[in-house]
Amino acid sequence: MKGAALFLRAMLARTYPRIIGTVRMPSWLLQETLLPLLSVSAYVFVYRAMNAPEECTGFVLLGGAMAAFWLNVLWSMGAQLYWERDSGNLELYIIAPCSMMAILGGMALGGMLLTLTRAAVILTAGSLLFGVRYHPSSWGMLAVVFLLTMLALYGLGMVFASAFLLWGREAWHTVSLLQEPVYLLSGLNFPVRAVFPPPVAWLASLIPLTVGMDALRQVLFPPSQGSGPSIPYILGLEAELGLLAVLSLAFLFLARYSLGHLERRSREEGRLTVRWQ
Amino acid sequence: MRQHLRAIRAATWLGWQIESNWTDPWLFFLYLVLKPLCASLLLWCMFVAARSMSAAVPGELLPFLYVGNACFMIVGGVAFGLSWVIISDREHYQMLKYIWISPLPLRSYLIGRALARSLQSAVGVVLTLAGGWLLLPELRSALTWERLDGRWLVAYLAVGVLMLGAVGMILAGAVLNLGRHSMLLSEGIAGLIYLLSGVVFPVEVLPEWLRPLCFFLPTTYWLEGVRRALMGGTTFGRALEGWSHGDLVSALLLSTALLLVVAHAVFRWNEQRAWRQGRVDQTTGV
Repeated sequence: MKGAALFLRAMLARTYPRIIGTVRMPSWLLQETLLPLLSVSAYVFVYRAMNAPEECTGFVLLGGAMAAFWLNVLWSMGAQLYWERDSGNLELYIIAPCSMMAILGGMALGGMLLTLTRAAVILTAGSLLFGVRYHPSSWGMLAVVFLLTMLALYGLGMVFASAFLLWGREAWHTVSLLQEPVYLLSGLNFPVRAVFPPPVAWLASLIPLTVGMDALRQVLFPPSQGSGPSIPYILGLEAELGLLAVLSLAFLFLARYSLGHLERRSREEGRLTVRWQ
Repeated sequence: MRQHLRAIRAATWLGWQIESNWTDPWLFFLYLVLKPLCASLLLWCMFVAARSMSAAVPGELLPFLYVGNACFMIVGGVAFGLSWVIISDREHYQMLKYIWISPLPLRSYLIGRALARSLQSAVGVVLTLAGGWLLLPELRSALTWERLDGRWLVAYLAVGVLMLGAVGMILAGAVLNLGRHSMLLSEGIAGLIYLLSGVVFPVEVLPEWLRPLCFFLPTTYWLEGVRRALMGGTTFGRALEGWSHGDLVSALLLSTALLLVVAHAVFRWNEQRAWRQGRVDQTTGV
């Protein structure tokens, strides 16, 4: 088996344990849905204490759902090869006759499907609990924005994964460090342009989460809806879609290049099998 | 006693090395500053965004939530740090069994590791408050030398570390006997405490049926006390406005004494159970 068929089968093979593992341990649902709901609820109550408009509750729920994908990209994509090295699987991936991109693609696909459940539960339960209503300007546009955001996010996850091939314990801390600062820059619970000046907002748009969430807010909370507050956005919707497409391609190419380069360096420096660094 | 103290000292040193020597000191310092500061600034951003959309945002809320969020780091560091020590030593480094067979008392080892994490959290709290003080005028006017009540602050911190240490011991004991769900337990309780202790919003904002739960949590009283000691007088929340420093500390002392007794019994029982059931060296891929 060669080429695309091998790539596809390897990808599906790596997706399989992610899906089947969770089916065999349904308690993950509790961890993946109830826990994020607690922190999301806390942020909703923060806005309630501020007497903020109802749209802000929607921003928090959207942020909670999208944060699930960011966490999945960081911990289950970026740091995954670090865990695999610790558990002794990494060398098996390296000697397997398929591309590492296929293995990472499988991780991404499995992770994305599971995280979709978490995101859906946060949005649905949160909306029911806090009475949030969405008025998407176009369902098709919503799907396109979401898919492009996922592509760019998981492309970035693959870049992280390749970088973590070289790293040891610092990988764990780096992933941890990429949580709060990215939440801040990407406007997890607030529209970025309502807080940051344009240069900072444009710079933050290089993170797919920032521009993806901004575009999703534009579709879910369009300005034409009623007498709600006017919400400033980083760019127009079409421009944000274009930027997401560019970021997706750029991160996927970068991941392919850096995976090859860093795998070679890790072999040369003998880091592929070093555990518990 | 000397053996316990030596164990605590060695475990604190080990804990500090594990937490800090993965990189050079400057990057570690940046890590200490950036993570907690960004978490607190996220709340400031929500405040600014809400203000840009509504004129009814109360200004006094910002110091309340910023200081509460910063102080919650100590809760995370001490209470949940202890259970994390069990998870990392057993699952990741697979060293718990060696600690177990060494002459080191496990409890003293855990206290030492918790102290290292407390130190890291305390540095994080100080840097976050200092960062907020430098960046946010609302915080500058709330955190002044005149308002600071040093004696009560020391009292709250001392009782708080004991109280959180006891909670951490209970969790660490439970985690010893849990496999895959150990993270669920500590993260779940962390989430509940964050939601119900009035960390980032006054408890009056919660639905009425949830409020009684807040008053069962010692962290509610601790956070209120620390906030008052730092910012003076009563703070934005109204739920405990009739309580003086003395009342708050008394409630804390009482609950801490109870928690210490429970922690001692629970940890001992779990320790024995984990030993009998062979859970000391189990790895579940968490």
